[in-house]
Parts: sequence; structure tokens; C-alpha cells
Amino acid sequence: MIRLQRRLRVDRRRSITLRLAGVVISLLVAGVVLQISGSPALMLGRRAVETMTTPYGMEQGLVLATPILLTALAVALGFRMRLWNIGVDGQLYIGALAATGIGLNVNGPTWLMLTLMMVAGAAGGAFWILGPALARAYGRVNEIITTLLMNFVALQVVNWLSLGPWRDSTIPDLSATRRIPYELPILPGTNTVPIGVIAPFLIAAVVFFIFRFTTWGYEVDISGGNARAAEYAGIDVRRRIVSVMCISGAIAGASGAILVAGTTHRLSSTISNQYGFSGFIVAALAAGAIVVLILVGLLVAGLLVAAITLQTLGLSVDAVLALYGLILIGNVVAEVAARYRVVRTTKPPPELQFAPAEALAGAGPQGLSALTAAGSPPESTD
Amino acid sequence: MGSLFNALHTSIDAGAVILIAAMGSLLAERSGMLNLGMEGMMALGAVAAVVAAGQLTSPLLCLLVGIAAGALCGLVFGVVTAVIRANQVLTGLALVLLGVGLANRIGTDFAGTPMSTTFSSWPIPLLHEIPYIGRALFSHDPIVYVAYLVLPAAASYVLFRTRHGLNVRAIGENAAAADAAGLRVTATRTIYATIGGALAGMAGGWLVLSLTPTWTQNVTGGRGWVAIALVIFAYWRPWRVVGGALLFGGMISLGFLAQDQNWGIPAPVLAMLPYVLTLVLIVLPAFVPSIRARRAGAAPAGLTLPFYREAR
Repeated sequence: MIRLQRRLRVDRRRSITLRLAGVVISLLVAGVVLQISGSPALMLGRRAVETMTTPYGMEQGLVLATPILLTALAVALGFRMRLWNIGVDGQLYIGALAATGIGLNVNGPTWLMLTLMMVAGAAGGAFWILGPALARAYGRVNEIITTLLMNFVALQVVNWLSLGPWRDSTIPDLSATRRIPYELPILPGTNTVPIGVIAPFLIAAVVFFIFRFTTWGYEVDISGGNARAAEYAGIDVRRRIVSVMCISGAIAGASGAILVAGTTHRLSSTISNQYGFSGFIVAALAAGAIVVLILVGLLVAGLLVAAITLQTLGLSVDAVLALYGLILIGNVVAEVAARYRVVRTTKPPPELQFAPAEALAGAGPQGLSALTAAGSPPESTD
Repeated sequence: MGSLFNALHTSIDAGAVILIAAMGSLLAERSGMLNLGMEGMMALGAVAAVVAAGQLTSPLLCLLVGIAAGALCGLVFGVVTAVIRANQVLTGLALVLLGVGLANRIGTDFAGTPMSTTFSSWPIPLLHEIPYIGRALFSHDPIVYVAYLVLPAAASYVLFRTRHGLNVRAIGENAAAADAAGLRVTATRTIYATIGGALAGMAGGWLVLSLTPTWTQNVTGGRGWVAIALVIFAYWRPWRVVGGALLFGGMISLGFLAQDQNWGIPAPVLAMLPYVLTLVLIVLPAFVPSIRARRAGAAPAGLTLPFYREAR
């Protein structure tokens, strides 16, 4: 007889292997579905790889990777405290809106204006999440739903300004604002990549530094691990919640500012190619490892470029969205699989059927945390 | 005067979509299953109904196809989170991406073409002839009556007046205790996740078969999220969901009314009102001490918590 038995410890390598397998299986499933629905999956895959490996494809990948990596960092920052910022797209839009507002209405030297636009973008993003953050910290209102609903509000605010007061009426049929006169310079050595591409790497380094070396970062980690213990130790968990969420919103907002200043140059309600959800899935797959986050982010950006380029072959941003969902399901299932082992028994030993309470007690804190969290992005703890 | 009652009519219709989906979410949540994928299941239900409408002539059959699509997603969610016991939040969000992406991908070919079959209105004899009120209240299509009368009554009766409902709520509150009492935790949770998915699919199907009878990209427009929010607002009571859905519908119809009467409010501002209202509905009560105290403990205590028999 074959039974499944829970492991007390999950080793990291097995977890990674299984999660990679989960991703591969999801891709295979997607391929089969594409094939059945009439798109030649193999050719599509080959073309996707081709697109990603041309100089143009790589540059486009870097351009798209900028908002994806930044939003992924924003989401990952929330995960440190078991907070779900699903509203990164909305914060990105409001950041872009704030930057556009400055860019269109204030005059000054380019370097100063670009700096102001970035600051405005970050402030706009932080402002957009402030309500959900305060509601989460002081009213225990589920932040997943509030941040997500704010996306819809943000989109309408952008619609209102870009179709109304800020609209460029000189070009017919253009539903976007006037062109912002200030542009981010191009990264030396490339043709099209704005300098903003270095922002995610800088921010990743800063985030890494903060959590490795500062008291504040340590307190945030403790608050995320066990809020009650943190409170007992004198940490003001509520204030940490508000600040972590606001910083997360600020990063997402800055990505919006970089997007309008470097790539789109005009604000409209279509500047985000699902960057927020792409960032979310990157953060979820990376599960807190910052180097993995950057690698996965670059891959996802390449995938998105391929999808946009190969629309005629049956790919599209929507197809990629569906693929994200599939990969995420494969990933969560793999994560559970890593926690079990298959054992062969002639007869199920009765003492294993019920919980090894003694075993748990002996396993120490690591064993216990493996049962509940296992390095995964957190459960909402309410 | 007439336009006011027209607005009431619209509110009831616009609220019905949210109501059906929210009832599905409520039932699943009562058993401890929080499926954040409502938006995705609604989208798939809608696109399934659209595809079915190309083959079938009866709107009811198309709706059934939508329900089946939603139920399938709900079942997948149930198996992944209750049987395999994966993280409910991540699985739900994955379903949003999968459902919305797939639905938009399939729907591309149908975008903009009006539905060949739709629900027609069933005026209730005599009652609908009452001036003003009659048309506003008693002249809807059959699914609206089901949404406002049958669904909440059935959910309320089953959950609070039957032993089975008591069992479901026990599983949602404390799965380990329910299991020790001999209840089938995993099976019940899977079934209720499926019911939740079926109702989400029904909401999506009805949306394209009656409310906006054509496929447009992102046709659900956040309604799935609003449904989840309304369950919180209603603190997991079926009849209170009706009130929330009517408020939401009212906001949508206020938008139409404002455009109709030329109040001079920009369309995007009107379009954001329903979401702003939903946010206010879930945030405000958390800061009013009396309501907060009354609602303490209303959420199923075991919501999103996986049940491991061998770990307790």
C-alpha cells in the first residue's frame, strides 16, 4: 500500500526542484491547449525564443522588465510582513499620473524635472495605498480586496484626466494626454532602453541592505513572522504595516513615473500591459529570494515581449495572463508536494495516522514553521 | 418621477449579478473556503455562455453551460485547496489570472457581436401593472427573481435551519473539531467550493445573457471582487448581501441617471462610484466601534485555514 506522509522539514533544494517541475508541467499543459485550439505550439515556442534572443527582443525585454521588476519588488516587500499588495497596477497608474501632472504643468531644467517626476510618482503610489494601509493596520480590513478595488478607481481617475482636462486635442482619435516634454535618457550601449532600467536593481540592493543590516528591517521581519511576539517585544506593528505598505506603493508608483518618463511619454489608461499582475506572479514565484526575483522577472518580461510580438500567431497578453494563472497553480501544488513523501507500507501503522505530537514538540521551531509556512508567500493572517 | 423608477429597475438588475456571485462566495466561505478567484470564474462563466449561445437557442441552457464552467473552476479550487491543501489565497489569485486571461482570449472572436439569445422579462401578473413600482419591481427576467428571493432564502434556510447547515458552519469555524465529531471536512469543503464556483459562473452567464447582452473584453469589470467585498460587508449573512447588492446596483444606476439627466459629472467619475462605495462599505464599519463590536467573530474562524488531520 502506498501512502503519503508529511515531512517535518522541507529541504530547500527539493522544494525548488518540484516548483520548477510545476512550472514546466504548466507550460506543457498550456502548449497542449494551444495545439488543440489550433495554434502550433512548438513553432510558437521557437518563435518566442527567437524573439527573446534578438537584440531588439532583448532591449524590449529590458524595457518591459523595468515595471515588472519594480512591481514585483513592491509585492515582495509586502510579503515580508505577510501583506498582499495586489493593487500595484493602480499605484503604478497613480504614480504615472502624478509624474505626468508635474511634467505637463511645471517648467524647469530637465534633470530637475525628471527628479521631481520620480518623487511625485513615488508619492502618488504611496498616497494610493495609504487608505488600504491604514484600514489594514487600524481596522484589520483585508488589504487584498481594498488594494485590488483601488485599481479600478485608479483606472477611472486616469481615464478622467487623460480623456478630459489633460487630453491632447491636437491629434484626433488619440485618447491620451499631451506629450510630456521631459524624457529619461537612453541607457548607454543600447538603442531604446531608458536609464530607468537600473532602478529595479538599485531598489533591490537597497531592500536587501535594509533587511540584512537595519533594525527597522529586522523589526519588519519579526512583525511578519509573529505579530504578537513583535508587539510583546515593543514593536509598533501597526506603524510597520503602514510604512511597509506605503513603501511598497511608492516603489510601484515610481515604476509608473519611469514608464511615462521613459517609454510611453503620454499618460493613458492603457500604459500598463498587465505589469501589476506580472509583478505579482514574479514575486509569488520568487518566494522572497531577491536574486530569483530578478531572474524570473527578466524571463517573464521576455515572455510578455514574445506574446505582444506574436499576437497574430494566437498569443496575446491575455494568453500570457492565463499562462500566469496556470503556472501559479502548478507552483502552489508543487509547494505542497515538497512537503510530503511517498511511503510504502504493508499496513498503515496506526501511530502514524494521528499526529505525531511528540514528534512535533521534538522538531523545534523549524519543524513547526515548516508545517505552517514552508517558505511560501504567507497566508493572510486574520 | 418616471426616470427615478427606471433607475430602481436598473439598480435591481445591476445588483443581481453581484448578488448571485456574492451568495456563492458566502456559501463557500461558510465552509472555510475563501476563493478569491470569483472574478476569473465569473469571466469564464460569461464566455462559456457566449460560446454556448452560438449553438443553443435557449438562454436557460446557455446559462447552464456558464454554471457548469464556473462549477468546474470551483471544483478545481476545491481539489487544489481542500484535498491537496495548497494556499487558498494564491490559488484564488491564480484562478483570477487564468479565468480572466482565458475568457478574454476565447472572447476575442466574439467581441462586439450582440448575443443571439437573451433572457426576456417575465412580468409578474397583476403586480407589474401597479403604476411606477410595478415596472420597477415586478418586471424583470426570471433569474432576477431567483437571485433576490430564492437564493438568499435557500442559503439562509440551509445554513441556519438545517443540521447540514450547522455542519457546514462548524467545518468553517473549526475543521479539527468538526472532523473529530465525524463530519467530512474535505468532501464538504470541496462541494461548497464547487457550489461557489457554480454561482459565480451563473453570475457571469447571466451578465452576458441579460444585463450587457454582448461580449466585451473584461466584461466582469471587477464585479467578482465586489462580490467578495459584499460578503464581508454583510458579515456572512445571506439576507444582508441583498442589501449590499442593491446599494451597489444603485450606484451603477445613479451613474446612468446622471448621464441621462446631464448632471455634468464626467463619465469616469461616475464609473468609479460603485467601487468607491464598495470600499467605503467594507472600510467604514471597521472604524465604527458599535458596528465593529457587533461584527466581532462574524467571519468563519477557519477561513483560509487548511485542515490537516495528521497535524493536530
